[in-house]
Amino acid sequence: MIMTDFTPQLLADVNESFWFPKSASTFSDQVDETYMLVMWICVFFMVPITIALFYFSIRYMKKKGEPAESQVSHNTPLEIAWSVLPSFLLVWIFVEGAIGYIDQQAAPEGAAQVGVKSFKWGWTMDYGNGVFHPELHLVNDKPTKLTMRSSDVIHSLFIPAFRAKRDIVPGRYNEMWFNPKVFSEKVSDEELEAALKDAKENHNGTFDPGRYQFTSDGYRFFDLYCTEYCGRNHSQMQTVVVVHETQADLDAWIKKYSGRQEGQSPAEYGKLLYERRGCASCHSVDGSKRVGPSFLDAYGTDRKFSTGASGVADENYIRESILEPKALVVEGYQPVMPSYKGQLSDDDIDSIIAYLKSLSASK
Amino acid sequence: MSEHAIGRSQGFNPGDVSDSDNYLKNSSGVLSWVFTLDHKRIGIMYLVGILTSFFIGGMLAMAIRAHLLKPAGWLFSNDAYNQVFTLHGAIMVFLFIIPSIPAALGNFLVPVMLGAKDVAFPRLNLSSFYLWVTGAIFFIAALLGSGLDTGWTFYTPYSTTTDTSVILATFGAFVLGFSSIFTGLNFIVTINTMRPPGMTWFKMPLFLWATYSTSIIQVLATPVLGITLLLLIAERTLHIGIFDPEFNGDPVTYQHFFWFYSHPAVYIMILPAFGIISELISVHSHKHIFGYRFIAYSSIAIALLGFLVWGHHMFTSGMSSLTTIIFSALTFTVSIPSAIKVFNWLATLYKGSISLTTPMCYAISFLFLFTIGGLTGLFLGVLSVDLHLHDTYFIVAHFHYVMMGGTMIAFLGGLFHWWPKMTGKMFSELGGQISCFIVFIGFNMTFLPQFVLGSRGMPRRYATYDPEFAFLHQLSSYGAFLLGIGLLVAGVVLVHSLFNGKKAPANPWGGVTLEWQCSSPPPFYNYARPPVVGDPYDFTGLGWDERAGNYIFLDPIVEPGAGVKPEPVEVPAHAGGQQ
Repeated sequence: MIMTDFTPQLLADVNESFWFPKSASTFSDQVDETYMLVMWICVFFMVPITIALFYFSIRYMKKKGEPAESQVSHNTPLEIAWSVLPSFLLVWIFVEGAIGYIDQQAAPEGAAQVGVKSFKWGWTMDYGNGVFHPELHLVNDKPTKLTMRSSDVIHSLFIPAFRAKRDIVPGRYNEMWFNPKVFSEKVSDEELEAALKDAKENHNGTFDPGRYQFTSDGYRFFDLYCTEYCGRNHSQMQTVVVVHETQADLDAWIKKYSGRQEGQSPAEYGKLLYERRGCASCHSVDGSKRVGPSFLDAYGTDRKFSTGASGVADENYIRESILEPKALVVEGYQPVMPSYKGQLSDDDIDSIIAYLKSLSASK
Repeated sequence: MSEHAIGRSQGFNPGDVSDSDNYLKNSSGVLSWVFTLDHKRIGIMYLVGILTSFFIGGMLAMAIRAHLLKPAGWLFSNDAYNQVFTLHGAIMVFLFIIPSIPAALGNFLVPVMLGAKDVAFPRLNLSSFYLWVTGAIFFIAALLGSGLDTGWTFYTPYSTTTDTSVILATFGAFVLGFSSIFTGLNFIVTINTMRPPGMTWFKMPLFLWATYSTSIIQVLATPVLGITLLLLIAERTLHIGIFDPEFNGDPVTYQHFFWFYSHPAVYIMILPAFGIISELISVHSHKHIFGYRFIAYSSIAIALLGFLVWGHHMFTSGMSSLTTIIFSALTFTVSIPSAIKVFNWLATLYKGSISLTTPMCYAISFLFLFTIGGLTGLFLGVLSVDLHLHDTYFIVAHFHYVMMGGTMIAFLGGLFHWWPKMTGKMFSELGGQISCFIVFIGFNMTFLPQFVLGSRGMPRRYATYDPEFAFLHQLSSYGAFLLGIGLLVAGVVLVHSLFNGKKAPANPWGGVTLEWQCSSPPPFYNYARPPVVGDPYDFTGLGWDERAGNYIFLDPIVEPGAGVKPEPVEVPAHAGGQQ
């Protein structure tokens, strides 16, 4: 989520040219070249048309009642010429566009794979072996294929720096691929340290990459937007793309997120899961009402359910709500939460429950 | 008869209309309007309705641009912003642009241009107006109810799951569809059967060709919208499982259904504008339209090709590569007939005798803006480039250049052009020209920056945005406010003319289509006897009467080749010349 009431010193996708963000994939140069080709064709037509339009309008302005100099009503060869000749230009740009499009369709064999799950309003990238994270991490100069699905409405994954976009339609898998050619630089440890400290002290521990223009691991990034309108927080359905210099660098990053780290308490890890796995987009931790009930003081409270039954929100209820969210819905809320079955380990669920408990200290 | 008339054949130069004949004054009271069957009064009622819708839609646009002055949003919550942009789009498309030219100006002009007393089915005509009102009421009900936040396209499954008033709004659009079909049907029958003696297809004014092409699309495409919206309502209420993946439906099917109507609908919006521009450019250049047949045929070509390109709205949705490439190729074919028209209009200006009147200023604006709108469409037809630009501000800028810079500007030009005929009043020429200038500057300032926003990657329908886009967004917003002021000036000029305008002569611009042989405003019966038809763009027989500000037919209009002044045919116009 990229919040915006500040002026950053450095902008992630700061424009390198007037028209485009940074060109960072093997597709982007081709797209930019075709764009400029069409642009020059447009200029080729627009400039003479504009000159003729305004020149004629002034040159042939006459007092009312004066007859026109000519009453020519048609000129068939001329008209056929200006109907047919531009068609050749059209064929040219059509072919250029189709070639570029075909290149973007089938991923080459041996491409790396990342699963993408989109939901209202966030992203979860699946790196295999139970590692999930909202950020998209890739390796430089390694073709990567995304297999994408949506758990609710249509979304669309757009990375301007890669010039790549594909809708994600619920009920089917849509695929896209690209090959990054610019890797993300890392900021200095001091800078990262200062940002982490600032996030902890001034922003409730929430690290917003947009504020610092690097991720909580210290990487510069490219923007990733949802471009198919999907409701309330469509405009905040953004995440970041980090391109690692080497596979080893990516593996190290994945390892860091592959489970609870040594010495990390379940509640601490539960908080990280809360932020990374999309809980935060629907459940607040300050008591305010979002799509789902707030987690503040949620543990141990008496709940009335939409079925009319009631019960206590204990460990078993929270576990069931994560795995079978539509079984018992708190009264006043819609049954819209997707199931996390198979996506969270027992330790993950235990950590989330521990985090909820820590938010319900008064109980 | 006008005392200034100097023509030999005074019958072609009508003078003032008496109050008892004037269609605005021959009867009075609310009921004389509510139950009127006079196509001119129905046209005026449409005009009031669509201008009201335009005002509401325009204020929503101002609110959108004000909100986007700040990256984090200035005025609204995300939910409120989503409702505002949805209503802006839905009102502008369904209540304003689609009916604007055909229903308001078309209703007034089609019979008058044909020399007929009315459309073929006056009662159907009135009923289509009331269907429009009913549809509008449903939209207001949706607005006052829980709002609408789906975007004007109602994409599933968002529209089947949101808890806003989707059913009210889609039912409104469904009813508006019938209004559109009835109008189209009426015009097709009217133009086919009620042309006066001598008006062959290729002697019809180009506005009628455009209206005819539009009507064909309305009748063929709009039923698909009706089916789609009914299926959407059924999906929401009965879960029939056609569009919603939760019930084994396919959301992309909805997009195919929707764009199968809505792409042709784009041509419902723009074709009548082409018709208006053909009239305006020729009349105010006082020169024969260049390439009449190419313009007429290109209208029909656009109407037919427009049915084959709906898939270009779905290049990123995951259609098969082959389908996508075919749709891209077909899309380029539509650009040819549009380009033909632009070249023909330019050639009409060449060596003309141009009067830079307000309607002409708007027509020149149209040529500039529409050319940009058309050319930027090329970027979007090119597949690889579209993958980058799809659903960004580039699209927003492109279709505003076509819909607003095209249709809305042409509508304004047409409104100024036929205003003296409709109301019998002349407006302030200077005021009109100033409004055109402000609108032109404001429009470009609003939408040119949006092309750059789009190619830099700013997605559309965003309530908040990254700060690197702030400057261009702000530029666009200030442009929009200027545009709003320009439109307000145009409105003031027109309203002012109603109260303080000079009396309009029958032919203030020098047109030779039949409506200029009627008094301003026309009598309720339009013509006492069927007018004689000549070439609609032969301006050689006109003289300028400086004192009256009027153009006069110097010679009797004679059918070319006939050599003699024909006897008026003593058959009612609406009998189509048949005994």
